[in-house]
Amino acid sequence: MNIIGPDALVFGVENVKDCEQYLIDYGLDSVGDGRFEALDGTSIVVLPKDDASLPPALPTGNMLRKTIYGVADQNTLDAIAGELGTDREVKVLDDGSLVANDDLGFTLGFQITVRKAIDLPAETVNAPGAAPQRPVNVAAADPDAAPKPRSLSHVVYFVPDVAKGEAFYTQRLGFRCTDRFTNAGPFLRPAGTQDHHTLFMIQTPPFLQGCEHFTFHMGGPSEVMQAGTRFVEKGYESFWGPGRHIFGSNWFWYFNSPFGCHVEYDADMDIHDDEWTAREALSSEDTSQIFLFQHRDKWFPSGGPPPAKE
Amino acid sequence: MVPQWWSTTGERITKQFNVIVLTNSFKKLCHIDDLKDGTALGFDPLAKGQDTLFVVRQGPVLRSYKNDCPHWPGSPMAWRKNAYLTSDGAHIACHGHGARFDIESGLCISGPCDGQSLQSLELKVDESGYLYVRLEHLSGKTDI
Repeated sequence: MNIIGPDALVFGVENVKDCEQYLIDYGLDSVGDGRFEALDGTSIVVLPKDDASLPPALPTGNMLRKTIYGVADQNTLDAIAGELGTDREVKVLDDGSLVANDDLGFTLGFQITVRKAIDLPAETVNAPGAAPQRPVNVAAADPDAAPKPRSLSHVVYFVPDVAKGEAFYTQRLGFRCTDRFTNAGPFLRPAGTQDHHTLFMIQTPPFLQGCEHFTFHMGGPSEVMQAGTRFVEKGYESFWGPGRHIFGSNWFWYFNSPFGCHVEYDADMDIHDDEWTAREALSSEDTSQIFLFQHRDKWFPSGGPPPAKE
Repeated sequence: MVPQWWSTTGERITKQFNVIVLTNSFKKLCHIDDLKDGTALGFDPLAKGQDTLFVVRQGPVLRSYKNDCPHWPGSPMAWRKNAYLTSDGAHIACHGHGARFDIESGLCISGPCDGQSLQSLELKVDESGYLYVRLEHLSGKTDI
């Protein structure tokens, strides 16, 4: 099934204004009706938690109400409706999109993808031994740059039964496991993308079920650092990072949020096809990252006499 | 003048104590008037680059805790600078995974660390109303 990845995540929140300001400061664009878009049109939707249009909340009260997948075409939508319709209700909304629950109780949507083609350069690097990626006299570092999230990358769920969840997404929707943390869960890639994962599940007690984090792809590691630094400077609370994961190789920087989950910037994820053999490891400090930095206030050393004390 | 009820978080202190102890073992955070009722403030007294503790005021209650959720030690709790409380101001919240804590006791009353407690820090208020925290309690293996 040609599922490309998440087009949108819909949240029902307590404090709409805080959540909206958070997403604007994160770098998404407000386009109305509670929708905040990345450059390719993928989005986060923020609605009051009692909004009548929202699907019911999980029993845990987690604020994620719907994960909407973008698919390639109507044939894929028809195939999903046929497959899931064998054992559950599949609603067709006025806009032609589908709604159905997964086997864990998450509400899913499926629509012909809204993703727009974007034509932007990736971060470039010059290194001895390789042809220059940037032309001569082009400076990379721009203190005034305002990097923007490009595309909704992935969502991570806390789930009470990771085997049940994996079986649903692999057997019913054609996702493949790219790598696995034995004591946590699988990284899953749908057939319509080569990204290492668009979904990762972590086994937890049932009362934690919900969204653990979501993230958007940035243009490269420097953009993760620069956007993350800008976010810290606006007063937001760094949770983990910046650093670089091993499974997926993506650079990461996670922040706390008013959505009851973490929100990440990521960049430079590995891509895979069906020839890839999934790796497996116990999740730990050593297997989850090559290195981890921690933000500190700007500082610099210099020569000469010590600076005058304040 | 410091209201009498501030003594719930630490006895009024003598000038001698002020000179000897506060300057060595404690770090000045702010004036109590900086801390509005029903709010919290985060502080980074060791210049770590991230707030390592917060102080919360709720009516007569004044408490300080490490910015470190017992669910996953090392996890900071606010979602934005000084945003440590639930939107109704009734509880301390960890905005990582939604744990809620009683403001007065630091006990987790719902969430993944139900029954565990925040690490309380000793506060003192001097005669001028300045708030101090005991530094030694800030260090430890879950230091952020």
